[in-house]
Amino acid sequence: MSDTAAEQLRRLLYLLPRIADGEEHPIDEVASLAGVSREALLAELGTLVERYDAPGGFVEGVQIYLEPSVVSVFSSHFQRPMRLTMPELCALELGLAIARASRASDEHAVIDRALARLREAITALPANERHEELRHAELAFAGSAAHLAIIRRSLRDRRKVELCYRSGGATSAARRVVSPYTLVFSSGMWYVVGSRDDGEGLRFFRLDRIEGVTLTDERFAPPDPGTIDAVLRSGRAFHAEAPATMTVRYSPRIARWIAEREGVPVDADGSLTMEHPLADRAWALRHVLQYGPDAEVLAPAALRAEIAERLDAMSRG
Amino acid sequence: MSEKKAAKIQRLVDLIAALLAHHAPLTFERLVEEVPAYRGKSLAAQKRMFERDKLELRTFGVPIQTVGEDGSEESAYKLPARDFYLPYLAVATPRGTSSPRRVDRWGYRSLQTLTFDTDELAAIVDGAARVRTLGDPTLVADVDSALSKLAFDLPVGSVSVAEDERLLVRGAAADPAVLQMLGRALLARKRVTFDYHGMSTGASARRRVEPFGLFFLNGHWYLAGRDVDREAVRNFRVSRITGLTVNGAREGTPDYEVPSSFHLREHARSRQAWELGDAPPVRAVVEFRGDTGAARAAAALGAPVPGCPARRAFEVRRLDAFARWLLSFAGDVVPVEPPELVTACRKLVDRTRELYERVEAGGRG
Repeated sequence: MSDTAAEQLRRLLYLLPRIADGEEHPIDEVASLAGVSREALLAELGTLVERYDAPGGFVEGVQIYLEPSVVSVFSSHFQRPMRLTMPELCALELGLAIARASRASDEHAVIDRALARLREAITALPANERHEELRHAELAFAGSAAHLAIIRRSLRDRRKVELCYRSGGATSAARRVVSPYTLVFSSGMWYVVGSRDDGEGLRFFRLDRIEGVTLTDERFAPPDPGTIDAVLRSGRAFHAEAPATMTVRYSPRIARWIAEREGVPVDADGSLTMEHPLADRAWALRHVLQYGPDAEVLAPAALRAEIAERLDAMSRG
Repeated sequence: MSEKKAAKIQRLVDLIAALLAHHAPLTFERLVEEVPAYRGKSLAAQKRMFERDKLELRTFGVPIQTVGEDGSEESAYKLPARDFYLPYLAVATPRGTSSPRRVDRWGYRSLQTLTFDTDELAAIVDGAARVRTLGDPTLVADVDSALSKLAFDLPVGSVSVAEDERLLVRGAAADPAVLQMLGRALLARKRVTFDYHGMSTGASARRRVEPFGLFFLNGHWYLAGRDVDREAVRNFRVSRITGLTVNGAREGTPDYEVPSSFHLREHARSRQAWELGDAPPVRAVVEFRGDTGAARAAAALGAPVPGCPARRAFEVRRLDAFARWLLSFAGDVVPVEPPELVTACRKLVDRTRELYERVEAGGRG
């Protein structure tokens, strides 16, 4: 069956149980229910109305009466939806598996029960096993699932949290009251995006650097619409309000990967030189040094000097 | 809509209705009487049409059962109501259990009732929301269809989902049309051919692959499959695939089978760069001299070393990748053993340092 035919059959089997009660239903409402235009709905229902080939005395499985603005459907066979199909189960299972990976272990039982119940609602077909394990999704998890659970609750209830947070370059943790606006997953890590009570604007907090979370009773107002979108538009999991940047040259050996990630072309010689927002010097050091001699800070000079000093110290052991 | 397609949908609905209308199995001859579109054709044409319809409905998920040998003269077909209709669904809350609207007709009375609790329902809706962020239209259609069925009895729409969670994808996302085609090829076990932009060469090459699975890892979709020409299982980032074609020959017949030894979940497991590859793992010990947030998070990835609280052990397959990772901590994490790792790290530091010295001498910076 073609995709469009399957989609149409799926839509009919969705609609029929909802309208096959013999009552008149406004066509516009039914079209809205089906998520299609009025014209598309009429065309689809028309397939079941315009029956030229039915033999005399044939009792139809579905009787549809179309009037200019209403539709009435009679059917004793389609008064409930079809069971879930194996692909539908697998798609939900994928989502539940992603959710499970970032949930505390005491929350796993709920997910497992939900999945077991869904399995009781599927159609049993010999081909079902062909759908198993066709797809897998994983958002790598690092950090505390218990911390994440508290942060999710604070997001839902719009309550501030006190974070015990050790930033990438800090050697001790600091306590900060934060209004968490959203959770983002980027490049293998969960981040809390929120604002600190000290008025330093939006900040990203890596989940694996959060050493403690306490939910407070203090409420916060959500940020202006679009604020978070604007920050996340770059796809980067950090936000720099200051205009500082660093310029890095990546060697031809690794430039293609960086260019693909950043969505820019490589330079004519195969290398790539580009500016990055410089939000955090500790991040900048780690970012550049992870590439060894294949990445070089060109500016600012102070950062170059700092890297050279660190390398000298490492060389001395 | 074409007349042919319209007639087909009508025929399929009639076939389902005919099977549901009878408790006893129906022979092919009885089905011809009950499905008007089968009439007025030669017996051979009728049978071909019915066999195709039956196959398509089963592929769609309708559990038509064959009594006797499928396709034989004596075989009959049935679609038991309890195998087709969604069970009655209820939700248990502290205030009581909901009562789904029951249909007082034959076929519906025997349906069982499945009762979800509110947490289970929330988990399902949450899981569906996560699937929608993955960018695969096939998966989105499937979760939407599943939820619309559940919503017939359950208050799916009133469950709040975690709208405050987002997935950031850097770089090009996978083309939804490519994902759809790969999904179909995977299910039908059909060989695919495509141009793949290899990052190590920077060039595109035509690849012939038997798809084993699709996996989404940290923001990107990958195809895992056997590269026919290289005779090895490879991963391909879907966003780097262009010019995809699916083998259209011998439709309905698989080109290959996925080996029973292949397990997508294990194959796709998230790994650090130093854990990749076929080299035998080496135990590497490192010492954490700094106590920054970055160093602490890194330490959590290793295993304790008895008697040395500042040291952690790692299973490493690629010493070069591990050495670069250690370098990123700028001296807060240093290698202890094996000696090859210590040497590799020292060379890496020296090469990077020389780069800065050379440029400094040339007046840059």
